Amino acid sequence: MTKILYTDKLDQCLERWRSAGLSVLGPVRKDNVTAYRPVGSAADFELTQIIPDRSIKELFFPQTEPMMHYSIKKDAIDTEECLPPVGARIIFGARPCDASGLAIDDPLFGWDYKDEYWFNRRNETVIVSIACTKADAFCMCTSLKLSPDSTKGSDVLLRALESGKGWQVEELTDRGREAFKSIAELLVEGSDSVAPTAVVAEKFDADKCAEWLKNPENFESRFWKEISVRCIGCGSCTYLCPTCHCFDIQDEGDTFTGIRRKNWDSCSFALFTMHTSGHNPRSTQSARWRQRIMHKFNYFPGKFSANSCSGCGRCTRQCPVDMGITETLQEISKLSQ
Amino acid sequence: MSIEEQYRTRAKELLSSGEVKLVIGYTKGSTADRRRPAFVSSPEEVDRLVLDGACIANLSGYLVTEGLLSDEKRVAVYLRPEGIRAINILAAEFQLDARQVEILGFNTTGNEPSALAGSKVDDFADLIASLKDSTPDTAGEELYLKLEAMTPQERFDFWQAEFSKCIKCYACRQACPMCYCRRCIVDNNQPQWVNTSSHTLGNFEWNIVRAFHLSGRCVECGNCDRACPVNIPLRLINRKMAGEVLEAFDHFSGSSQTQEPVMASFKKDDTETFIL
Repeated sequence: MTKILYTDKLDQCLERWRSAGLSVLGPVRKDNVTAYRPVGSAADFELTQIIPDRSIKELFFPQTEPMMHYSIKKDAIDTEECLPPVGARIIFGARPCDASGLAIDDPLFGWDYKDEYWFNRRNETVIVSIACTKADAFCMCTSLKLSPDSTKGSDVLLRALESGKGWQVEELTDRGREAFKSIAELLVEGSDSVAPTAVVAEKFDADKCAEWLKNPENFESRFWKEISVRCIGCGSCTYLCPTCHCFDIQDEGDTFTGIRRKNWDSCSFALFTMHTSGHNPRSTQSARWRQRIMHKFNYFPGKFSANSCSGCGRCTRQCPVDMGITETLQEISKLSQ
Repeated sequence: MSIEEQYRTRAKELLSSGEVKLVIGYTKGSTADRRRPAFVSSPEEVDRLVLDGACIANLSGYLVTEGLLSDEKRVAVYLRPEGIRAINILAAEFQLDARQVEILGFNTTGNEPSALAGSKVDDFADLIASLKDSTPDTAGEELYLKLEAMTPQERFDFWQAEFSKCIKCYACRQACPMCYCRRCIVDNNQPQWVNTSSHTLGNFEWNIVRAFHLSGRCVECGNCDRACPVNIPLRLINRKMAGEVLEAFDHFSGSSQTQEPVMASFKKDDTETFIL
């Protein structure tokens, strides 16, 4: 016997959570794009799409965020810090790869400086993931030692019932248990059978790839040029990635007053490493693509003992020229045989 | 012989004879319905080249990759009529020497590609002239007409909702053969002309700047629209501008290598209806 949440109780759950002070978010399709957004009623959820087009990271690390207002006066500079909006939230219907992505980035945002913009939100958000029962050709979580029902980064994991009428509930953390206390009466004990989780074939051997990437001889390999020749240098893969976390700090305004913002930035852009002198240490697109792969599968694991990739596959799924991490690591797997 | 075979044979001949150093075409993608750009530089590799109804991307932008044509050698490229128009514009704007471009022209009707006769950009002049009164994009027709019927406020609201989705990944710019600037105005930070932030205002600034820069230059290939990861119907903005330019200046972009850029030239008899 396990706890079951039936779909027809979802609206009542949303009400309870709101009464308990949680704002509710989840995958919503609007204007032809599915993203994690505020949810009004259960009918707003888009839970059938394999994965939302946009990743969950933007709820914790938005594409642009004010950090402070400043005004420069004759004999003083006034600054006013902007902290992230407070308020407890629950994200219902996250994909396990998205939830994992957040857990992957936690050590990064807490390493030398504890990023309050990230952690204030992380600490106030309950993540309820739904194990995947469908996958497409771009999903690759299993190649990253994760799975369609991975619990990493989730506070509660739901598994769809075979009947399609609800989910089996697995509470994973205290935060998850706390949030589900408020809906305890809406859950029932049952032994309904669950739908099989999606089958995601392993596409590459991440350990072998890491070995190849660590070998300094391969840094200048012709491979980088060949694999990235069609890359057009946009930032679509990095901005849709649940783990890419680079940002730029920009002042907007005039000489005397303005606002300092934290904006997403991408290693795919030539400007990313451009020096004031005009010299660019990563002057070619192949050097930029190499950096992206090296960062995710060599430098990041070296520092934080995990790949900076949760296998969501958005990089390939939405690439204008059909590139992405999967193809590159598949090719590296071949080279390292 | 299918057009795919026909063009493979031609690509092989071009590479074997040394007439071109590279063929830019399409090959199989990561799923059955995807095609991806392919760069073939030896005759042994031409069998990778695919040509079918799924080959839609305009590949002309790759020709202005820094250094590609600087050795004065020639490159062959698979192009649909919009791509051929793009070559005319790139030549008119001195971004390439069209003599270095060998065209493997094709059109797609229904889901089948058909060969276009010719190999030099000027060979297609009559074809391009015949396209002047038609739009290459029929997919967005319904939405386009809907937008045209809207009041200015409704249209503004529509675009505001669309632009608020923009994440400034610049996939539209990078996929566009006309966006060849080595340093885009939005990447200039001394001074910072355009806000880098991806809030609604910054997104408006970016998309409007791009719409103006493409007026009279866009060939409506749809690369930007297909590249957009958040599905903003970008081609409709450019299509609107193309229509305006055609009406005001009788300018159909990419008609010839000597066509003057409409936004950078002045004629005494230009209409000035926009001056109030």
